[in-house]
Amino acid sequence: MKSIATPTRILEIEGLSARYGHVEALRPVDLHVDEGELVAVLGPNGAGKSTLMNAIMGLVPTQGQVKFRGRAVPRRAPAAAAGLGIVLVPEGRGIFAPMTVAENLELGAYLLNDKHEYARRTARVLAMFPRLKERLAQTAGSLSGGEQQMLAVGRALMSEPKILLLDEPSLGLAPRIIDEILQKLGELNRQGLSIILVEQKAPLVLKLANRAYLLSVGSIAAEIDPRTIKSHDELVQYYLG
Amino acid sequence: MFNLVAQSVLSGIGIGAVYGLIGIGFCVIYNASGIVNFAQGAFVMLGGMLTNVGMIKLGLPLPLAAIGAIAIVAMLGVVLERIVVRPLWNRGSTMFVMILATLAAQIVVERITQIMAGDQPRTLPVFTDLPPLRLFGFAINFQFLWILGCSALVIILLGLFFSSTKTGKAMRACSINRDAAALQGIRVSRMLALAFALSAALGAFAGILITPTQYTAFNVGVPFAISGFIAAIVGGFGRPLGAFAGGILLGVAQALAIVLLGAAFKNVAALSILLLFLFVRPTGLLGPAK
Repeated sequence: MKSIATPTRILEIEGLSARYGHVEALRPVDLHVDEGELVAVLGPNGAGKSTLMNAIMGLVPTQGQVKFRGRAVPRRAPAAAAGLGIVLVPEGRGIFAPMTVAENLELGAYLLNDKHEYARRTARVLAMFPRLKERLAQTAGSLSGGEQQMLAVGRALMSEPKILLLDEPSLGLAPRIIDEILQKLGELNRQGLSIILVEQKAPLVLKLANRAYLLSVGSIAAEIDPRTIKSHDELVQYYLG
Repeated sequence: MFNLVAQSVLSGIGIGAVYGLIGIGFCVIYNASGIVNFAQGAFVMLGGMLTNVGMIKLGLPLPLAAIGAIAIVAMLGVVLERIVVRPLWNRGSTMFVMILATLAAQIVVERITQIMAGDQPRTLPVFTDLPPLRLFGFAINFQFLWILGCSALVIILLGLFFSSTKTGKAMRACSINRDAAALQGIRVSRMLALAFALSAALGAFAGILITPTQYTAFNVGVPFAISGFIAAIVGGFGRPLGAFAGGILLGVAQALAIVLLGAAFKNVAALSILLLFLFVRPTGLLGPAK
């Protein structure tokens, strides 16, 4: 399914750990994503999945290394990471609720200074999420949960990320909406976008993922090949150790 | 009597607009960072003082001296952010520590000004030196019109900046959710420096507008800062338009207290309004910003 040559690493993480004050929220983690891969990060609540995402972006103080296409990603500089094309749709979506949908999308393309390219990207995002088109002038806070998640993903796409990180996009959404969003993510991945998808509900994403990491109490417990997971029970085995 | 009261309401609106501008300065920094910048008064004082220095020492015409003063004070705002606020910010200091640091900075600026410029009060010429307009039996002086016109212009320009420019929107995004803003590639620390520059320029402008009707000296900053702070609280902290309305309410209340109760009641009126709002409507006229 991927190119036959040795795959190149888009993201390589070595010994990345994070702490909040004296609490070690993430023990040193190694993981990697190849170009064009969709990698799932699974694990129960409190396993450190969100901390891992925030640590990659440099939103929290970290130790260890994050390399993007072989270059070190500066630490504690999320704006610089975004500038490299590493874009996170954070836990809780992080949309700018008092601002309009259009303004949210515009800020997604904050680093872009080309009007034509901006129009092209907007058209692409609105074609992907037509519902946002009807709501452009509304405040983002007035959208339904599903629409807000679409806005969060759409805003991230406005920057044309090289690798997209999503922190539990399914949280609090109806199954039908989750399916719709996951289907879009699958499409994006088939178009070549590398993705890290964090999920608590593992069965949702194992169908999409090329590989999966299982995170448990702040460290990687296992690396899973989704094709080997035959049943839900087998996954439960992983969770329970 | 009616005439006297109405006349003092008018002058209260004028000074209230200045309080409002100072209050907006508080809001701009608060929205960008959560910090209440008590050095705001220093910017107001420096606006008047530097314009005076520009006119007297350098012989500049008033508009040039004023623009120069605003630019210098804006730069000082950035310096304050760089050397006082950011080191604490990067160290993860609590908000309380940063607020106290701005208060210390206020005192430092005040004392340096006293050493360099002396303690004598200074003033600026009125912008238009004509006798007051007579309208419906009221005397309206031109400085009052300048204050109102300039404040309205500043508010419109500020509104356009925040609603129509990318940088303005980025600043709003920072005030809504700093982490999410950073994830879009917005450099939050740069926005913070910009907020200090903007807020300092607003303070300086307010100081220049009010100085011709009063005077300025090294120590006028704190009373102005307190009035601007009350204006911001009355308006709902972080709401620029609210702060402006709050400033006018405060200015009118003070003017009425002076004419009806005596000059000693000026501060009583101001602090009573503050207490009234804190007890009865702590979210201010327009409600909280977030």
